[in-house]
Amino acid sequence: MKLERKLAMRNLLRNRQRSLLTSIMIVATVSLMILFQGLSDGGHRAMVDIGIKMGLGHVLVYQQGYNDDPSLEHLLVDAAATGQQLQQSVPELTHMVRRLHLNGLIQAGANGVPITLAGVDPGLEVQVSRIADRKSMTAGQTLAELPRERSGNGLPGIVIGEQLARNLEVGLGDRVTVSVKPKGSSDLSREAFLVTGIFKTGMQELDAFWAELDIADAQRLARLGQEVSVLALYLDDVEKVGPVAARLSSQLPAGKYEVLRWDQVAPELHSAVMLDAAGMYLLMVIVFVVVAAAILNTILISVMKRTREFGVMLALGASPALVVRVVFWEALFLALFCIALGGALGYAGHYHFATEGLNFREVFGTTLEAGGVLLPDRFFSFIYPGKLAFSLLFVLLLTLLVTIYPAIRASRLAPVEATRHG
Amino acid sequence: MARPEAGKTAVLDAPGNASSTKKATTMANTSVIRLEQVGKVFEQKKQRFQALKQIDLTVESSEFVVIAGPSGSGKTTLLNLIGLLDQPSSGKLFFNGRDLSQCSSTELAQLRRDQIGFVFQAYNLMPVLTALENTEMVMEFRGMAADKRRAAARKTLTALGLGELMDRYPDQLSGGQQQRVAVARAVAGEPMLVIADEPTANLDSRTAESLMDLMSQLNREHGITFIFSSHDPRVISRAKRVISLCDGSIVSPVSQAVEFSHAV
Ligand SMILES: Nc1ncnc2c1ncn2[C@@H]1O[C@H](COP(=O)(O)OP(=O)(O)OP(=O)(O)O)[C@@H](O)[C@H]1O
Ligand SMILES: [Mg+2]
Repeated sequence: MKLERKLAMRNLLRNRQRSLLTSIMIVATVSLMILFQGLSDGGHRAMVDIGIKMGLGHVLVYQQGYNDDPSLEHLLVDAAATGQQLQQSVPELTHMVRRLHLNGLIQAGANGVPITLAGVDPGLEVQVSRIADRKSMTAGQTLAELPRERSGNGLPGIVIGEQLARNLEVGLGDRVTVSVKPKGSSDLSREAFLVTGIFKTGMQELDAFWAELDIADAQRLARLGQEVSVLALYLDDVEKVGPVAARLSSQLPAGKYEVLRWDQVAPELHSAVMLDAAGMYLLMVIVFVVVAAAILNTILISVMKRTREFGVMLALGASPALVVRVVFWEALFLALFCIALGGALGYAGHYHFATEGLNFREVFGTTLEAGGVLLPDRFFSFIYPGKLAFSLLFVLLLTLLVTIYPAIRASRLAPVEATRHG
Repeated sequence: MARPEAGKTAVLDAPGNASSTKKATTMANTSVIRLEQVGKVFEQKKQRFQALKQIDLTVESSEFVVIAGPSGSGKTTLLNLIGLLDQPSSGKLFFNGRDLSQCSSTELAQLRRDQIGFVFQAYNLMPVLTALENTEMVMEFRGMAADKRRAAARKTLTALGLGELMDRYPDQLSGGQQQRVAVARAVAGEPMLVIADEPTANLDSRTAESLMDLMSQLNREHGITFIFSSHDPRVISRAKRVISLCDGSIVSPVSQAVEFSHAV
């Protein structure tokens, strides 16, 4: 082993207690950093995932102008053809659903509530949407579970939120009237529906102001043909949203379509995730400061206690550069050891939560809501390898950075220090 | 320690060995160190203290010189200047004929590394290195090949009676043993000059005696110039030349023509 590495390593081992204390501090912070990073990013992914499943989608394709004026004037007319084109040009696609959104009034007896009506393909929607999911149903059936033939009195089915049902004072099997303003007419179009299902998502705006029905019923109600409001695309990985949206924007004919990402359509969800991520970054900064201070402290003490030793080396003709290298190796060995151990421990923790998941209700005793989205009870730790590598590398760089001062201090000692005794 | 008998067992190389003869002859007419009107002033908290005053001193190659004087007389200050660890405030210092006033600290460090061996009063071995590694260290600074420097270190340690203790760390050695390792470190690289500031101060008289034997033997057989300081009369009496310091001045440069004798 080269002299400087030998000196560095043996000095760390010689001052085992000091090295160990510093190591514990750094190992703990590094492993907690990884654990928090994994849980935080896992939580964000869960939030995004839930948001996307609340009647949204990863990438949304609209007719040009729909987002400025979401009226019946800006509907996708040739949704079927566009859909086919998208199926072929987006290999990342796992699901694609069409939806028709209508503003309407729902009435039962003397009660009336303005709501959003979502006309959906029941069979497809159940695969991508939390609203249409069996698990969200508190009573009745999902639209997909409804028999094809209409029930006895021949009314089409509608699924409404739990809060809405309470506000309307209706229950399963009750009759409601839905009115919308059809395209190109000022008279209301009105139809009766049967409440066949009641859902609960935990999101106020869905549970109190949302109803889902078969897209064919919605189109008929609004006196439309095959027009839809949106084609919602679901991808195999949320990380691919950006590239796919960008690609589609340039591929699809300009001026005809509008391609938006989920975070553009639901900015409040996006900012909730970002805010939380900002908190995470703050935590990381604290971690970095702690690690830097711990290493600076150890190395500085170690250098000051060895004034004589470094003085002797310099007196015997060692170059200042050699002394600098000894100090740097010491810091590097300490940092590498701690990063490796902390990394392994942190990753083990992450692995546990990545496979077992973290149960919010168990840990916090309550459900969590962020950005208007109810977080799932259980979510899974997730680590972006690049981000992890960057943080670990940053800890390493930080170590070397804070070592500059003690190293230079040691190398600038006067060789006469060697002759002082006492 | 099996003390090698003079003339019988050589400490490093055999006497009259090619390298030592060469050193002895080429250095003969050049002074190793020459001080001209050298003064040293310490300034601390606006207080000036003249530690050395107008020192004129020449030490020739292969000399065995002691600097004697009471505590505070400037012995360490002078040895630090001679050992190129510190720079004079006034006057000129020549090392091996070279004026050092223009030398950079890097050049001074290289001169120390290549030409000067040091023995400190407090031994000052590297605590994390074994006796062997300590002895090798200066040669490693020089960039010497590992096998060469290891061989040289082993030979020196064996010759100094430390053959069995090579792999021990300093804290596993007695004071006398540590100081012998320090001497080994100073001479293993075959320097031109060895500086020793009170090398026996922390040793008992018997150990001090044998360290003196060792140093004078290295001087005789190897032609290495020794300059050391002491205020122990028994140690001073072993030197060929005594320079007495008092209050920063040389008082009576007594040249002892007494030939060193092994029997004490
Ligand atoms: N760095 C310094 N700053 C100020 N004064 C100093 C410094 N080094 C030495 N001195 C002073 O210079 C004088 C000579 O000191 P030096 O250490 O050379 O004496 P010495 O002969 O080696 O003494 P001792 O036998 O006690 O080792 C002393 O009065 C001392 O206080
Ligand atoms: Mg002294």
